[in-house]
Amino acid sequence: MSPLGAHVRPAGLGMPGRGAPPDLTDPQAERYLAAVMTRLPGTARHRAEIIAELRSGLLDATDAYRAAGLTAEQGCRMAIGEFGDPARVASGFHAEIAAAQSRKVAGTLLLTGPLVGLLWIATALCSHLGVRFAIPWHHAGAAATEAGLLLVAAAVAVTVCAVAVSLGSTGSLTRWLPDRPGRASAAAAIAGFAAIGADGLGLALLAAQLDLAPGRLSPVPACAAAVASLARILLARRAARHCLALRATLS
Amino acid sequence: MRAEALKGHLDGILLAVLEPGPRHGYAIMEQLRVRSGGQLDLPTGTLYPALHRLERAGLVRASWSEAGGRRRRVYELTPAGRGALDTERGAWSEFSAAITTLLRPASLEPSAP
Repeated sequence: MSPLGAHVRPAGLGMPGRGAPPDLTDPQAERYLAAVMTRLPGTARHRAEIIAELRSGLLDATDAYRAAGLTAEQGCRMAIGEFGDPARVASGFHAEIAAAQSRKVAGTLLLTGPLVGLLWIATALCSHLGVRFAIPWHHAGAAATEAGLLLVAAAVAVTVCAVAVSLGSTGSLTRWLPDRPGRASAAAAIAGFAAIGADGLGLALLAAQLDLAPGRLSPVPACAAAVASLARILLARRAARHCLALRATLS
Repeated sequence: MRAEALKGHLDGILLAVLEPGPRHGYAIMEQLRVRSGGQLDLPTGTLYPALHRLERAGLVRASWSEAGGRRRRVYELTPAGRGALDTERGAWSEFSAAITTLLRPASLEPSAP
């Protein structure tokens, strides 16, 4: 579509000078912004920030048309026409919102991972399991436990790799990487599900230990680790689903 | 000039517009129009996601500032953005020189020995 005002407004009018009217909220402009807003996914804060920026741009454009002789109402209508279809404007932000969300999820997993991991290691070390540092729960000894620990390690490795991909595809590396929308969201979701796997396996091992020899467990770190893992499972599940939903909005 | 024709070059163009100094979204749009002699046909609303992408890539930095009672998000080039602009300029010169040569009418070609 062509900028409707191209013929009306002298080019290079610049931004409105000092003494520009305060941010009058024109009903047309607000309706337009609301139309964009309802099509934006993401957190309320991110959406509000995007809308605030669009609002100031819309007001600047309206001022420019007014300076060229249009009424405020006409100017606003022209500015809205110039900004373009609300659906198109909103869809332009989808990739950015998905990237921001992926980054947040990956960052949270990166921060909470070592914390939860340390609680589990503390549990293993404080409990009377005869563990050595390298192989917690070694004493439990059963092949099933060892397999469980290997699976935990694998899940942690997948989480770390997926977090790295997600952060890499959304940060400054995007300068060099080919832009593949959805990669970061998919990676963040995979990281979330892998973290759920690691936490779930930890809880399963704990349950097994409770069943085998509850007396050997040190209750305080065990409870802390279990609560931390449960909380992370719930949060990671929500976050991973959210990432997948955002990924689905990308064309 | 439609948005599709710009595909792949919008980032470089935005960096070039920001080269002289920080600007907010609408001022960037005005500059695009002025500098393209009104040739650029891009819905203003689509400019903002492009700026956010550049910000995420670390090529521009954004901050809110207030002037004349209005808060605006102001963008400025980062050192990495200046580097990317130089790279883009070099690549474009090579590309356009090659295409100019290829599109030259045959009558202007130096005759074969």
